[in-house]
Amino acid sequence: MTCAKTLCQECATQWDGIWHCAACLAAKRGAKVERSPVFSWIAVVVLTAVCLFGGARLMVWAAALLAGLFS
Amino acid sequence: MIRAPLSITSVLDEATEVVSMTAAPWAGVLVATALPYRFLQALFFDQLIEVGKDASQYGRLLGGTANLIVAAILLALWGRAVYARACRVALGRGMTPGREVWRVPAAALISYFLTSSVLLVAGTLSALTCFGLLIVSIVAGLAIGTMELNERVSVIEPFRLMRRYTRAATLIGMSFVFFCAIFVALVNIAAAFGLAVWALSALGGFDAPRWELLFSGNNRRYMLMLVAGALIAVEPFWVAAHVVFVRKAGAQERGDDLRAWFEELRRPA
Repeated sequence: MTCAKTLCQECATQWDGIWHCAACLAAKRGAKVERSPVFSWIAVVVLTAVCLFGGARLMVWAAALLAGLFS
Repeated sequence: MIRAPLSITSVLDEATEVVSMTAAPWAGVLVATALPYRFLQALFFDQLIEVGKDASQYGRLLGGTANLIVAAILLALWGRAVYARACRVALGRGMTPGREVWRVPAAALISYFLTSSVLLVAGTLSALTCFGLLIVSIVAGLAIGTMELNERVSVIEPFRLMRRYTRAATLIGMSFVFFCAIFVALVNIAAAFGLAVWALSALGGFDAPRWELLFSGNNRRYMLMLVAGALIAVEPFWVAAHVVFVRKAGAQERGDDLRAWFEELRRPA
């Protein structure tokens, strides 16, 4: 628990593997959710797209190379 | 609270329980989304064996299938993400999760797409080595296990998280168990096909002798489909095991497991 109070099993609620009391859970719910910056989204989407596009090309290249080695 | 130690057997034990809780309908979602990807992979290998050493001259054919594989990967990754969430929720509640499983956080999903696409490139480059593929499969397990811990979108953070949860010995042991499980699944699926062909041959009205030729080890396409089927059959256990592993490793890192153990020791005294 975040507040380190002693509680019985019935009064504690598990969230992501950690036991919380009602007050700690309410504070967690009320906490402001920090949004990821737009730049991070763009960077991740672009990098993913590049890897997927490059992955398809690499797959063909590696397949041709392997086929040449084992045939 | 996780009380068992972080060992391969404890992780696999809990993973089996989680799979039994999430089998219907969530394992079905995982299998349905993985089918196009695995079957396209089988088709790619079939085409590659067909063209043999002339593969470099069939770039357009292989490239077309590779593009379809990449498109199917996105669907398969989404299915895995949904199933990993189902495993995590089932672990927390000890019962089959409901509709909230569909709501995979966008930051977690896009982070998983990123780690998986980087691993796709790494896996393809390491196809020429034996150890490279093993390492990539271990890291892929960590990627699905840590997926839901990504609360913010970042290029670096998903990889940092994976590094934080790396326990080399346990992960290598788990990979070895799943490598053996693929062969066990393959034998079981082949036996199921054999049994079905034998049972149908007794009914009559079917071209059963031809079926026996089709469903034999001499048929390359049948063998490739068996491997694809074995990979699909093992996947729910693989995902569940890595979700359980990351959760247990996290509890160990925070000291929650020691705190629970200490409380248990104090209770009789």
